[in-house]
Amino acid sequence: MTLSEVTKIDGIAGDFLVTVKESPRYVDMDKCIACGACSEKCPKKVAGEYDAATGKRKAIYVKYAQAVPLKYQIDPNSCIRLQKPGACGFCEKVCDAGAINFNDTEKIHRINVGAVVLAPGFEAFDPTDAGVWGYGVHKNVITSLQLERYLSASGPTEGHLIRPSDGKPVNKIAFLQCVGSRDENLCGNGYCSSVCCMYAIKEAVIAKDHVPDLEATIFYMDMRTHGKEFDLYLERAKQDAGVQFVRCRIGGVETDGDSDDLRLRYVNEQGRQVENFFDLVVLSVGLQTPKHVLELARVADIKLTGDNFAATPDFAPVQTSRQGIFTCGAFAGPKDIPQSVVEGSAAAAAVSDLLAPARHELTSVASFPEEKDIAGEEPRIGVFICHCGSNIAGVIDVKAVEEYAATLPHVAYVERNLFSCSQDTQEMISKRIREHNLNRIVVAACTPRTHEPLFRETLKAAGLNEYLVEMANIRNHNSWVHGKTPKRATTKAKDLVRMAAAKVALADSLRPISVPIVQKALVIGGGVSGLTAALNLARQGFDVHLVEKTDTLGGNALHLKQTWSGEHIPTQVAGLIDDVLANDRIIIHREYTVSHVDGFVGNFRTTIIDREGTKKVIEHGAGVVAIGGEASVPTEYKYDAITRVVTAMQFDKLFELKEKHVQQARRFVFIQCVGSREGEHMYCSKVCCTHSVQSALALINEDPARKVYILYRDMRTYGQREALFAKARKQGVIFINYELHGKPRVVENGPDIDVEVWDHVLHRPLRIKADMVVLATAIRPREDAADLGKLYKVPVDGHGFFQEAHAKLRPVDFSTDGMFVAGLAHYPKPVEESVAQALAASARAATLLSKTRVSLDAVKAAVDEDACDGCALCIDVCPYNAISLVEKKAADGGVVGKLISVNKAQCKGCGLCQGTCPKRGVIVSGFTMQQISAQISAALAV
Amino acid sequence: MSLSFEPKIIAFCCNWCSYAAADLAGTARLQYPPNVRIIRVMCSGMVHPEFIMDALSQGADGVMVLG
Amino acid sequence: MLDTKKVGSVMIVGGGVTGMQAALDLADSGYYVYLVEKTGAIGGAMAQLDKTFPTNDCSM
Repeated sequence: MTLSEVTKIDGIAGDFLVTVKESPRYVDMDKCIACGACSEKCPKKVAGEYDAATGKRKAIYVKYAQAVPLKYQIDPNSCIRLQKPGACGFCEKVCDAGAINFNDTEKIHRINVGAVVLAPGFEAFDPTDAGVWGYGVHKNVITSLQLERYLSASGPTEGHLIRPSDGKPVNKIAFLQCVGSRDENLCGNGYCSSVCCMYAIKEAVIAKDHVPDLEATIFYMDMRTHGKEFDLYLERAKQDAGVQFVRCRIGGVETDGDSDDLRLRYVNEQGRQVENFFDLVVLSVGLQTPKHVLELARVADIKLTGDNFAATPDFAPVQTSRQGIFTCGAFAGPKDIPQSVVEGSAAAAAVSDLLAPARHELTSVASFPEEKDIAGEEPRIGVFICHCGSNIAGVIDVKAVEEYAATLPHVAYVERNLFSCSQDTQEMISKRIREHNLNRIVVAACTPRTHEPLFRETLKAAGLNEYLVEMANIRNHNSWVHGKTPKRATTKAKDLVRMAAAKVALADSLRPISVPIVQKALVIGGGVSGLTAALNLARQGFDVHLVEKTDTLGGNALHLKQTWSGEHIPTQVAGLIDDVLANDRIIIHREYTVSHVDGFVGNFRTTIIDREGTKKVIEHGAGVVAIGGEASVPTEYKYDAITRVVTAMQFDKLFELKEKHVQQARRFVFIQCVGSREGEHMYCSKVCCTHSVQSALALINEDPARKVYILYRDMRTYGQREALFAKARKQGVIFINYELHGKPRVVENGPDIDVEVWDHVLHRPLRIKADMVVLATAIRPREDAADLGKLYKVPVDGHGFFQEAHAKLRPVDFSTDGMFVAGLAHYPKPVEESVAQALAASARAATLLSKTRVSLDAVKAAVDEDACDGCALCIDVCPYNAISLVEKKAADGGVVGKLISVNKAQCKGCGLCQGTCPKRGVIVSGFTMQQISAQISAALAV
Repeated sequence: MSLSFEPKIIAFCCNWCSYAAADLAGTARLQYPPNVRIIRVMCSGMVHPEFIMDALSQGADGVMVLG
Repeated sequence: MLDTKKVGSVMIVGGGVTGMQAALDLADSGYYVYLVEKTGAIGGAMAQLDKTFPTNDCSM
């Protein structure tokens, strides 16, 4: 439902009545075919929201070129006709589909649902009113979102980086960080927006890709590149791309006389006040909750934090203050894409926990007539040529194509349609298939990437196998790109139809493969992530086997005291363990590890073994890897030599036990990044900055006379954790920045510990006398991670953490279907993020486990047993490990050689095997060698 | 070479990237000469060397494998 | 809670990457999903981005 807003939520968890107001679109979605004729004729131009006001759109428009649904809409505020009845109306006249409806009205829907998930997102901070940055005054001051559009090939300048003021090329660009973040004074947003450091680096790197000689400088307070692979990206930006980084908050942006150049004044690394000129200044704007979302929160009756984000408990990070209403994404606190996607899945898991008894109650399965067997039949091809309104017919002589198609071999029927994709044409195609006994179909229209699924359904509805259709792309690849040469476009259309007919004539009925699913899960690791995933899956109604290497549940969290927001971890973990123990769907295997794995998605067989060698075999449809991580042991800062140099975890214990060294100590020095962000460990452990700040606050809280120093490289109290950092500064904790080339030195000096560090403000060395030194040690992956990974054919990254299928969009999936990852095994993260990821892994696993069978696309590799000679070349190239070598048996059962076998469940149909095979021994159905050869010959036949 | 020479080019396009890009070129109405015939494959790795030889021997003036 | 009525459908408010992920996972695990989006098309903020870090992949 688009153009829709929630205006009321009545009822209780499990049974809500939601009122939704749908604004008029003025375009009939069923009729609009997104040809764009309306927009071309529309005389009204306004600033486009999608292009962040860098470009223009019409009053009738699609939000962006690849929008879903790809349907036009009229903006009533700028449409001439809607503002003044009787005027304009050009769009209505040119719309062949008759989709324009100026009389469209607002609709109110009342919808009964079991749960509500609020994912309304964020808006970028608007720097207009803040004044100091000159935004809205100087044309060459733009926001990061605007730069994003300038850099985009689909943006207003098609990716050319030019100055908005005069269109001159940009040679020097400056990024100002924390605009609308970490700043109570100018914007009122005290929190860190978490994403701006990374996107600024990315924009600088991409901008330098566009303009190789570009000088790009990022002015920052702390580089917060705490996510997975982010520090490596930062290092590459510095070293390979040559992006400059200056640690300085810029107070203002000025112009110089009549020039459009922009002047910035700042303190450089040598401590000197300098000024520098730039062509373009980019404001790295933060994220904030928009006004309409605050209204939504009021309507939903949920609590917000002081920073105007949805308030959520750390151990239930997608749960709002109202039962049955969940939240995820940037509304639950500023965050990047992968973490938002994780929370999207986590919200699904939380909803399913609530609604599991009603699963499948409101969903239905479509039924189709029995499929006709066409084996052995001569091809009888039906060709349907789409006009697409005037999109195709306006360029291509479709009648000539129709006449030509009728002359092609095997073609039994040809017809033209105004819109082949419309509902009535679908029914008509179905009817023609039966009437004319057609057994192969060519649709000459748009792209199979969007419309092949639709026509497959049409064939199914006509009782024909869905794989007996081929599309000729005469719109996207022809009429739209050859508009100026209609004659040659018509020739090309004939060629494309001939190629499609040649291919489809060789098509066979393909059976979609489906395999039964064992509706049970395996969770490896009994820490917070594993416990959370196991409990959620069990509450969703699935049996779970939980395997834990030690004899204790709870994992690393047993050593932690509190979350960033102050929730007491031991209480929460104890509660979680109790719930797991009490749930009779969860079977716990303590002191077991995984020793062997067979099978694939839906049908894994995992063997686990204990120390005595006792083995158990567990059958499961999906698995969650949550084996956690471990604290590194410091090898520097005299950790071995001085007893009062301790790790953060040791300090926590000593502090809690009121140990006398801690009690008596007056001066504490915390050293950050011990074992993180250097050498082979070029990653951020993510939790240590917040942890040290919390420890410092606890020390001062106990005795305000204590002196506490935190020596850091970048303080990474991201998101709403920034409040802790601000509080610590206010309460007198002294923060001193050090760089990797000038690490602190620790020396025992009688009763004191001397810590020497270079002070970047005073520009001289500083010696701090300390009674105790606390090292913020790194989080390391488990040593056995890579071995476990090999068993499930899932990879680990260069640091030894498990590698997800896609850094952005599949953050808990593995490339091996059916396996998922959560917690520290994936990357260092705080407890609440581990919980979210565990819920997400559970939700992803549930998408499999909730079905009895998993169906797979029929486009798969198959072995030609006569042609395959078992050379095994294809085994090496297969990216999915789907091919194995087996014994070739003769009719009498004797072994006569080797040949390959393809596991259809693992094969994705990419055809690397087919491209590699010297013997034509392996073929991808739907794209056979014969079919592609026929297309080539057909293409070159005339 | 005479000015009227019109090459015939066969392009093998991966469904997931270059074929999608050609679709997008259409959406953006980018104009290019109509000499290319695109054959959709599920991965450019599917393109067997024989296909390239076939195309050239049957008169193609150029073959592109895009992926 | 056990004896109260449970409706097997869910409303997701917001059609950005987060909302879409929640909608897909719920629809794939047997619930009827209403996806409510304020603007004319889903996609949210990510669709405005050119490339994404750290892989510089296209956003679309």
